[in-house]
Parts: sequence; C-alpha cells; structure tokens
Amino acid sequence: MMKHYTRPSVGRCIRSEVRFCGGLTVGEERKKMLTKFETKSNRVKGLSFHSKRPWILASLHSGVIQLWDYRMGTLIDRFDEHDGPVRGVHFHMSQPLFVSGGDDYKIKVWNYKLHRCLFTLLGHLDYIRTVQFHHEHPWIVSASDDQTIRIWNWQSRTCISVLTGHNHYVMCASFHPKEDLVVSASLDQTVRVWDISSLKKKTASPVDDILRLSQMNSDLFGGVDAIVKYVLEGHDRGVNWAAFHPTLPLIVSGADDRQVKLWRMNDTKAWEVDTLRGHMNNVSCVMFHSKQDIIISNSEDKSIRIWDGTKRTGLQTFRREHDRFWILAVHPEMNVLAAGHDSGMIVFKLERERPAFAVSGDSLFYAKDRFLKYYDFSTQRESQALTIRRPGSTTLNQSPRTLSYSPTENAVLICSDVDGGSYELYVIPKDSIGRGDSSQEAKKGLGSSAIFVARNRFAVLDKGNNQVLIKNLKNEVVKKSGLPVPTDAIFYAGTGNLLCRSEDRVVIFDLQQRLVLGDLQTPFVRYVVWSNDMESVALLSKHTIVIANKKLVLQCTLHETIRVKSGAWDDNGVFIYTTLNHIKYCLPNGDSGIIRTLDVPIYMTKVSGNTIFCLDRDGKTKTIVIDATEYIFKLSLLWKRYDHVMSMIRNSQLCGEAMIAYLQQKGFPEVALHFVKDEKTRFKLALESGNIQIAVASAKEIDDKDHWYRLGVEALRQGNAGIVEYAYQRTKNFERLSFLYLINGNLEKLSKMLKIAEVKNDVMGQFHNALYLGDIQERVKILENAGHLPLAYITASVHGLKDVAERLASELGDDVPPLPEGKEPSLLMPPAPVTCGGDWPLLRVMKGIFDGGLDSIGRGAVDEEEEDAGGDWGEDLDVVDVDGLQNGDVTEILEYGEVAEENEEEEGGWDLEDLELPPEVDTPKASGGARSSIFVAPTPGMPVSQIWIQKSSLAAEHAAAGNFDTAMRLLSRQLGIRNFAPLKSMFLDLHTGSHSYLRAFSSAPVVSLAIERGWNESASPNVRCPPALVFNFSQLDEKLKAGYKATTAGKLTEALRLFLGILHTIPLIVVESRREVDEVKELIIISKEYVLGLQMEIKRREIKDDMVRQQELAAYFTHCNLQTPHLRLALQTAMIVCSRAKNWATASNFARRLLETNPTNENQAKMARQVLQAAERNMTDAAQLNYDFRNPFVTCGATYVPIYSGQKGVSCPYCTARFVPSQEGQLCTVCDLAVVGADASGLLCSPSQIR
Amino acid sequence: MAAPDHLFNLRNNFYLGSYQAAINNSDLPNLSPDDAIERDCIVYRSYIALSSYQLVINEIDSSAATPLQAVKLLAQYLSNPHEKESTIASLKEWLADPAIGNNATLRLIAGIVFMHEEDYIEALKHTNTGGTMELHALNVQIFIKMHRSDYAEKQLRVMQQIDEDHTLTQLANAWLNLAVCGSKIQEAYLIFQDFSEKYPMTGLILNGKAVCCMHMGNFDEAETLLLEALNKDAKDPETLANLVVCSLHLGKPSSRYLSQLKLAHPEHILVKRAASAEDSFERAVQSVA
Repeated sequence: MMKHYTRPSVGRCIRSEVRFCGGLTVGEERKKMLTKFETKSNRVKGLSFHSKRPWILASLHSGVIQLWDYRMGTLIDRFDEHDGPVRGVHFHMSQPLFVSGGDDYKIKVWNYKLHRCLFTLLGHLDYIRTVQFHHEHPWIVSASDDQTIRIWNWQSRTCISVLTGHNHYVMCASFHPKEDLVVSASLDQTVRVWDISSLKKKTASPVDDILRLSQMNSDLFGGVDAIVKYVLEGHDRGVNWAAFHPTLPLIVSGADDRQVKLWRMNDTKAWEVDTLRGHMNNVSCVMFHSKQDIIISNSEDKSIRIWDGTKRTGLQTFRREHDRFWILAVHPEMNVLAAGHDSGMIVFKLERERPAFAVSGDSLFYAKDRFLKYYDFSTQRESQALTIRRPGSTTLNQSPRTLSYSPTENAVLICSDVDGGSYELYVIPKDSIGRGDSSQEAKKGLGSSAIFVARNRFAVLDKGNNQVLIKNLKNEVVKKSGLPVPTDAIFYAGTGNLLCRSEDRVVIFDLQQRLVLGDLQTPFVRYVVWSNDMESVALLSKHTIVIANKKLVLQCTLHETIRVKSGAWDDNGVFIYTTLNHIKYCLPNGDSGIIRTLDVPIYMTKVSGNTIFCLDRDGKTKTIVIDATEYIFKLSLLWKRYDHVMSMIRNSQLCGEAMIAYLQQKGFPEVALHFVKDEKTRFKLALESGNIQIAVASAKEIDDKDHWYRLGVEALRQGNAGIVEYAYQRTKNFERLSFLYLINGNLEKLSKMLKIAEVKNDVMGQFHNALYLGDIQERVKILENAGHLPLAYITASVHGLKDVAERLASELGDDVPPLPEGKEPSLLMPPAPVTCGGDWPLLRVMKGIFDGGLDSIGRGAVDEEEEDAGGDWGEDLDVVDVDGLQNGDVTEILEYGEVAEENEEEEGGWDLEDLELPPEVDTPKASGGARSSIFVAPTPGMPVSQIWIQKSSLAAEHAAAGNFDTAMRLLSRQLGIRNFAPLKSMFLDLHTGSHSYLRAFSSAPVVSLAIERGWNESASPNVRCPPALVFNFSQLDEKLKAGYKATTAGKLTEALRLFLGILHTIPLIVVESRREVDEVKELIIISKEYVLGLQMEIKRREIKDDMVRQQELAAYFTHCNLQTPHLRLALQTAMIVCSRAKNWATASNFARRLLETNPTNENQAKMARQVLQAAERNMTDAAQLNYDFRNPFVTCGATYVPIYSGQKGVSCPYCTARFVPSQEGQLCTVCDLAVVGADASGLLCSPSQIR
Repeated sequence: MAAPDHLFNLRNNFYLGSYQAAINNSDLPNLSPDDAIERDCIVYRSYIALSSYQLVINEIDSSAATPLQAVKLLAQYLSNPHEKESTIASLKEWLADPAIGNNATLRLIAGIVFMHEEDYIEALKHTNTGGTMELHALNVQIFIKMHRSDYAEKQLRVMQQIDEDHTLTQLANAWLNLAVCGSKIQEAYLIFQDFSEKYPMTGLILNGKAVCCMHMGNFDEAETLLLEALNKDAKDPETLANLVVCSLHLGKPSSRYLSQLKLAHPEHILVKRAASAEDSFERAVQSVA
C-alpha cells in the first residue's frame, strides 16, 4: 500500500496539475447527451454490462461493487468485500458470474445469483487494474501494477500464465474477441499484443494447470506460453487503455499524452495508423463501438468524445462540469454505453432508436436508413416509397425525428436535427409505391418542427420568433402566425389547428381564428397520439400519460415509473401504450393495467382488435397479438354492459387477486364473487354485495362463530329472519334467538326455547322466555324454584293466581311482602303476534356456486337495468335542467333584447358621428372616381353551350346546348325526321341535364355550370369537352330487356311503348366507338321489327270478325325478326288461329316451324304435334290467305301486306321499315318520326363517325 | 400575436351557408363598433339568404349605418321584383353620393343587384377595385358568369395573395375550378371535402361536392350527397335543381323534384331555362316544319 506514494509516474503529476484546466470550456458544439440512467456514488473505476439483462456492474473507489438495473433504475445488489478501490469488474458471458480486481491485490469471482464471492485468486503483487473473462475458455486475464499480466483458470482456480515484459504499471489487458491475442497498455508508454495460442494448445485441464504451476517459476521470466507479438510504440506518455476492434484487425489506445491512437496489425506486424487529438487531459479509456463505425473515448478533462472511425474526426463531445471520466463500457449487443466518473456513472445512448413514423388510415410511413417505407396494415405488406437523404455523418443523431403525412397530396414531411432542426418535404409519386427507387430532390427548410395542418398546408415552427409559418406544397410561405405561448414543438391537432408544446403545458391553437381552443398543464410532452375519431388525445411524457379530449379538457392522468415509449388508441377508446418493458392499457376512466411484458422496447403504431402493430428499434414492422380480455372486461363494466360482462365471465378465463380487488374497489363485489374460490373472501364479497345465499353457503363451509355472527348481522339488516335465526342457532346464541322469536311473534319456538333453557338449567334464560311468552305460572314456578319466594308470591298474587299465592304465602310465613298499595297492578304482557314468520327456509341446498352465481348475476343485471332506468330518470332530470336552461335562454334572449336596445341607442349616438364623418370618407373617394374611369370591363366570354354547338354535328349535343332548331335540322337531314313531337321530352331533358347549379356568393345569382362528358383525372382545364347527355346506350339496353320481358309476359302495349321509346331515343343518343355505332344501328332494326310485329299483333286482337285478316296478321307476325321465345309465341298464336279457322295446311307449317325451334315448353311442343297430326289428316286450307311462306317477304309497316322480294317498296330513312310505294311521303307508322322515302344522310351518333 | 378574429366563425357560417347558425351565434361580446356593424350586416344578409326579407326591411331603420342601409336595399330589391326600378334608382343615387358611394358593403350590394340584372359591366364598375375579400369573391363570380375564367383567375390570385386560406379564397377557388373543369374538378372536390371535415356539413358544401361529382361523371355519389342535402333542407332550390339534373342522368324520374322546385322557387334559373326551352322547342318545330 505504501508503494502508492512512491509511484514515480509522470502521468500522475500531470493529473493533479491539469485539474485546474478542466474548467476551461472550448467553443465546441455542445449537445445534450441521451442519458438513460445516472447514479450518484463514489468514483466509478470499473464498469461491465450484462450481455442479456439490463444490468450493469459498477466498481467503486470505495471498494463497493454495485449491480444496477439501468432500465428500472434500481440498485439490485451490492458486493462489499474488497479492501480498497476496485478498478476492474467484468460479467461472464453466460454464467451467473462476474470477476473483480482491486487494490487489495485480490481477484474475486462472484456468483450474483448466490449473492456471494465464490473464491479469490491470489498472486498479483500490486494493484489490479483490470480483469476480464475469456469469451469461451474458463480464463480470466488481469493487469496489475506489478508490471505483469496474468491469465487464470477460474475452474481450477489457478494462475496458468504470467505475461511479463512491461516495465511499468500495466493499466489494462483484454482478450481478443475471437483470436488468441491479448492487448495490454502500460505506463511504460507501450501497447503490447500478446500471442496466447500456445496457451490454448496446452488445453487447460486442472492437472495441466497444476503442472504448469510448478513450471511457473521458470516461466516467470521469458515464459513460453504467451509471447509478445508486437510492441506498439508511439505514445509519449503512459498508456491508460488499449482495446481491440470487435471485427477488424485494429487497436485503439488512449494515453496520458492526451492522444488517442489507432493501430492496425496483420500477421507479421502492427503499425500506427492515426492519432486523434482533442482531449485536454489524460485519456483514461477508449473503445470501438460494437455496432457502429465510431470510437468513444473519455478523459480526465471531464469529457467524452465520439470519433468517426473512418474519417477520424471528432463527431461529438459531451462534457461534465466537475467530474473526470475514468472508465467506459460498450454494450456488446445493444446501442447503449456507460461511463464512470468522479461522482457516479451514466448509461447513455448516442443515437435515438425510435424510427420516425406517421400513421394515416390503413397506411404507415416510416423512415429506415435512407428509405421512406410504406406499410399497409390491412395486407401487412411493406414496400419502399422513396429514397430520402442519407443521414449525415458529420454529427450524430441526424436521422429523421418525426414524420408527417398528407394522404390526399401523398406528401411527407420529415424533420430531423440536421442544421439545428430542419425539415424536408417529399411528394411520393403515385406509381412509385412498391418500386421505391425514385429519389427526388426534397424541398427543404429550417425549423424545429414541421407538420401538416391541412391537406396542402404545413406549419413550420420558427422558435426564435415564436411563430409558425404556414407553407404550401411549393414550400412557399402562405401565412405567418404568432403563437400564444412560448412553443418549442408543434403537433397536429386536427385540420387548421396546432398543438403547441411549451415546457409545462400544451395548448391547441386555431390558426385561422387565432384563438386558443384548449390549454392544459402537463409535464413535458414528448409524443401526441390522437384517437381515430380525433375526439381524444393522449399526451405522452417521460413518466406520465395525460388523456384529454379535443378541447384539452383533462380526462385522466397516469403515472408510470418506467419510461413511456409509445401508444395507440384501440377501436373501443382504450389507450394502449408501451413502456420500456410492458404493453399496458388505460381505460377512459384512468384505470390501467398490464397487458403483457416486453423483452425489447417497441414503438406502437396501431391497434386493431387484438393485434398491435409496432416498429422495433431496428425499424422493422412487427405485429403482436395480445389478450384483450381483461381490459375489454373492465371496459364493459365501465360502460355497464352487463350482458357482455356476463358472457365474458361464462366464457373466458378471468381470474386473479388483482381482478378481484379491482372489482371490489370499483363497487362490483357481486361480480368479483364469481372469480373467488377462497370461502372467506367469498363470504366477505357476498356480504358486501348483499348476496345472503352465497354468504350462508360460505358461512357453512367456514363454520366459525365470527362468520355466523357477521352473517346474522347482515341478515338482520336485510330483515331475512330465517337466516338470522339460522345464524343464531349456529352460534347457539339463545338470548338473541329468543328475542328474535319474540319480535317475530313465533311463540311456539319461544316455548321451545323455554324448554331448552330448562334443560340447560339456565334460570335467567327460562325466566326471559317465560316473560316473553307471558306465561305467569311458569314465571312463578321459575322464581319459586330459584328460591325467590317473595317475588314469586308477588307475581302470583298480582296476576291473581290466588291458589299459588296462598301456597307461597304459607311457605313464606311471616315474610310475606306487602303488595304495593294505591296502584292498579297492570303487568306487561307481550302482545299477541300479528303474523307468525316462523318458517325455516334456509336449509335448501345450493345448486352449486356457479349456478347461484349466474343467477345472482342475472339479478345483478336486472338491478343494473333498474339502475339504467335510473339513468333514464337522470336524463329526465336533465330534461328538467334543460327546461331550466331554456328558461335561462329566455332570460338571455330578454337580455339580448335589452342589449339590442342598447345597441340601438348607441347607434343613435353613432348617427351624430356619422354626420361628422364625411370629410374622412372623402379621401378614398378619389380612388373611387379613379376606378370607374380607368377600369374597362372585359367583354363577356363564350358560354360553354355555344362552344358545344360550334364543334358538333350531333343532334343530341345541340339539343343539350338548347339549340333545338339546329338539332332538328340535323335530325331532319340525317334521318329524315319530320315529326318532332315524340322527341320533345328528350330534347327538354337533354337541355335540363346539361347544367348543374352552384350557389356561390350568398344572395347573388346562382352559377350554372356546364356538365361535360367523358371526364377523366388528367383532363386539362379550360379545354371544353362535349356535353354530358342524360341518355346513354346502356339505358337503352335495359329498355330493350324490359321490352323483351313485357313481350314474353304478353303485355303487348307496354312492350310496344318500350320499343317505341327506344326508337325515339336513338336519334339523340351518342356513343363513342364505331363498334357501338353498329350496335345502335342493330338496335334500331331490332326495335323496328318488334314495333311492327307488336303493332300487327295488337291490330289482330282488335279485329274480331275478320278471321282471314286475323290469320294473315298472325302469319306476318311470325316473319318479324324476333327472339326465339317470342317467335315461338308468335308461331303458336298463328298456329292456333289458323287451326281454329281450319286452315290446316298453313297451321301445320307454323307447327313445323315451332317444332324446329325445339320449344322448351312441353305444352307448346305437344300442341304443335297435335296440330301436325290433325293437319296430316286434312292438308288443306279452308280460306285463302294473302300469305305465301315459301316466298320471302317483308311486311308493309302501314298497310300490313307482304311485300315479296322483287316487288317494289319504299323504306323509312330512319327505322328502315318497308312500305308499299303508295306510302311514300307519309310519316313512318313504325317509328312515328321520319317521312317514308325521304332523303337522309344516315344515322350520326358518334364523334368517331365524324373524325 | 395578432388579435383574435371575433367574427371568424360568424363569417364562415355565412359563407358556407349555415345562415341559421350565423344568426344564432351572432351574440358576440366585446366587439368594436366596426365589427358590430359587420356583424349586423352578416346577420341581416343571413336573413336575406333565408328569404326573410321583410324582417330585414322592418328592422333596419333609416338611422342605421350605410352598410346596413345597403343590406336593406338588397332585401327590398329581392323582396319586391315589381318595384326594382325604384330600388335600383336609389342604389344608383347612393353610389353617386361621394360620401357613401365608396362603402364596400354598398358596392358589394350593388354588384349583387346588377348581377341579378345581368348587367355585369355595371356590376363590375362598382366591384372591380375590390378592397374586401367579399368584393373579390364576387368579382370571381361575375367573371365566371361572364365566361371569363381568365379574369376570374386573376381575381383569385389577388385573393390568394391576401389570404390563401381564407374561406372565401377557398370557395372562389372551388368555383373557378368548377368553371374551368377538367382536372381542376378534383381540386374543387378536395376543397369542399376540406370544408366538410372542418366545419359542420351544410347544404352549400353538400351541393358543392355533389356538383363536383356530377362533373366527374359520378352521378350515384352526387345523388347520395344531394339527398343528404335534401334532408337538411327540403326546399333548398339548388339541391332540388341539382337533383333534377342528377336524376335525369341516372335515368330516374325527376318530375317530382322539378314540380317542387317550380312551386317553391318559380324564379329559379332551372325553371326559367326549362320554360324557355319549351318555347324554343315549339318555335324550332315551327321553323323546321
């Protein structure tokens, strides 16, 4: 120990010297550290992270070793066996062990599960600086001021090698993570790399070790097990620390020369690569980061420095005011570091791990590395949306911090700390989602937060001026607005609103009205989560969750001991949130509980039913399925949905003390009853809920006096005499029982009680019972037997029991007491009972707890329904309140009236002012004059309807534009139409349907807007499309179907109307393609055929007397081009008509034709066959018809006579119906539109025909 | 921080067609005298929009401020078509009065009246210098009526420079978008959609959305929106008129809406157009025959 004072190190001197320089601050960027946990203690000299659990060991200068849970912030254990400072400490990778080495020259191996030191390794002759377990062999390496490094086997508990060569204190030694190397640093200004492969070869069995131990002395100097491979010289002061790179052949060292040096090695040599300068004092420790390409160093200059491993430039510096740093630790797997200093230690992170994300409906956008990713909650598929800027490497923590998304514009705002707070605006191209390769130049700007406040507006916080800039998607400032409170961050709060955060409160600010809509005192809010309906908001602080409504009226506050990480609202209005290690829920009334534990922190993005969507720290999307039963159950209770509660009790596994306590506390003991097995608790709950049946059952099970007594009390309270009696019986409480019988008037039982008392020889009880019963003789007897003869005598004589009185008097002799005089003796007699409630109802057997339970639940539900009814009543009361309010309103209105009157008075005053005003008004008058003189109003433009006409030669478009005469001229020219009357309604509808009406400015004339046809998303504005028409081809198609249907059903006039309707619409139809034009033309023919046929058939039905004509018309009808079913009907009709007229030959022809169609209707076929049979017998016609089916013909549309092929005829230019030549110049009787034989250019119904 | 805009909600209600809400919520405390007059103007104009002309004529007496007098004039003009000549005469007389002729409200009313007279040049004479958002918005409408969307766009630019997020700017933008058609219809739809998300649904907003849908060829959605609007106000002229149009396109019967419209609003442009169309049909038949 004394040696300490004789230490010749130069470094030590510098140390004390520079203590005074530490206060100097250098003009370097000062950043807040992301501190996760901090302890206050004696100087921390050694640190070690547990590889799996959130634990860290800190060894102190005071000799104590502390085991901390840095996540929970709790001290788990302390180990105090070293004498003097403990400088080295290290966890074993897999075993519950750690090793420590101290200034007492001792290396101790501890089992933290057993809370004790397992053994001590002795051998070093001076302070031990560091100790470390090997990652796979049972070895420990230790460095000591005795200038040696030793390797120990902790299983055999022996030293297996001593590494000599350093000629000053060895400040640190550590194994290589993979290879058989050890690196050490010494105050002799060197770093040494040792090869220990030979050590490995002599595989360490305990026997070997003992052997080795015997050789030790020879090994001590120039040993062969471990040889110096390289000596790294370059530091010009003592080296305090050296460490291997986890994967690369690199070494980093820190020394009293204030430098950090980087070394590289290969198989044969090692050399200095670079020097990192910047520390102002001795560098005490330096390490490579386990995951990132950075170097972390700390120093007695009270700073920690972060260096870029490749560029070797300083990235960041963290300073403390008063504490020198001594030690660093890097977590082997997680992104967490620790540093020990003069007054404790800190656990910290270099970079935030929360991925920036934004949720919108079913989509999640989040930033990962240099990509903006898109995730679809419903399909659970993820893809890349676009490439974003690469996070800068000049400083740390430059990755996106927040994201804001505008779904309609598909735009994303990404905020980061770059340049002290800035944003980037990207618009995601619609087609790029899924490709993700598009990279675009973002629009950028400065500002500590930026969020979308409307579809195409975002707000950027300008902290300096405490204002927000409202910008459009072009990144141009549209508006500026001051903020009502000093704001350091803004969040979304509905369209046009901002949630402004200041240190201790949040406000919701309406940007347009410039009004504060809500204001709430909260701890420093970190995250804001709105419910889906935007009615509720959760404000997340480090340890607090505040839930408020959209006006920031506080609903509830929750405190958490563990840090709150994220949250999301479920569909029922329950807020689900995560802390570092739990998923929890918060009900609307503030009740909260744990849903499950978490191994690693997650960031929740959405809750959907039982599924929680989240992002982890690696930026991967995950789903977690949770058991929502508990909180849904509690929510149902809260909402008084007892049917739901009941079904949940029946169907799910809800249990546990917590649930019972909750139910009890929330006033639902009757519900809690169903979770409890323990009889005592059941009894208690039953009493609480007044469920006397269950209480009795439990009391029977428990069967002790106290419970019976309490049951009796409750039963008495409820007036359940039977159970009171039972309880008293069970406790053998005869006095109470008697009194109960008395008040119940159960005299029979009372007399039994008398007997019982007699049997028990309980005189007082006997007397009481006798008294209650009013049994005087008994009373006298009791008194007599008890030896109270005078009393017995008085009783007897007063009650007029003369015989007994005399007998007693004689027995008393002289001592006969005098009877009271002057008083009317009137003794109390118990009143006769009105009713007798003396049944014993309770000994019915319980059907079983659960049945009973559900019964009672049922009852509970009924009760609750009653309560609900109460609720209604409450509403009734509310109604009364409303009435009150209305009254209030009335008074308000009255007041308003008064105010109005006052206003009028004021306005009376204004008049005076008005008189004074004119001179002021004069000034703008000049400009008024100017306006009328300079302004030239533009000439009116061309109405859209006019543009339509100019372009078009389609009649329908002219009609829509209201130019009926040109429309008619077109129709006349194209189709020979002369009769427009049937088209009138079509014209008017087309015209009416061509414009929509927009109420624009109040009281100004409404704006009529031309509706155009064939709109699509990419149509360019101001280019006029043709008018939208109210008739289209598909409507006609439907009409055709209806026409067919009516024909089939035999509704001929209806069918005719429909087909004519088609013919009347077609002239005003417009279709797009040529193909459709052909279809339209086809439709004309179909309709024409039907119209003609139906007209003939209707005509036929009208003719009653002319059989020949009837047959002819029926025959012609079969030659119209009809659908097969209709043709069959026509044939059948013709067949019947002809058969009836005995024109068998013709009829057989129809029958044959009918059979040729393969009629599906069996009756039709049968009838046809019958006709054929009949005709075969007599193949003649009774009457001659103007009908020759062998000769093809068409029927004249007006005269209904056949025009056989080769005969002359004229046709309708529109519907193509044929007519006999005499009809030329007449209006077509089929379509009723065109003139037969008129000249016409043909149907024009599509722009494609014109092009 | 600028002072809160006390009349914001009132104006918004008025512009977006919640006239009753505007009237009901007009009792605002602590208004400056100017604000109070503006408040009264909006309230009375809301009554006018609800066709309660007589109430306005009765309540505004001769001592009221110029803007209110102008509003009264509008009520008189709209209530009594037979005496509009005298109303217009007094309007012209006031406009010529240098003391009050430059009053923004008076000019606005003049613009509205001359628009009804379809004398757009005269209307523009009084409104073109703008000065208030309302005047600019009216200008936009006048230019749209004149089929001069280029001029309307210029006016809109001016409005956007003043306050791009102003309700009237947004509305005027939607009007213009509808007038120029094409891809702009979507933007118009989004504007109405924004309104419907931010403010209580009104017939005006629903009609706006419906008109957009119709112009995009989506008559089914338009019908749904219009029926919703009809639920709110069964007599709203634009709702009925648009329902007529929409039903025609859907091939559904439209006559009931048309007769309702004819009964309730015989002066509506659709009724007038239908009547004149019938005339012109007869005339055309004659001329073609």
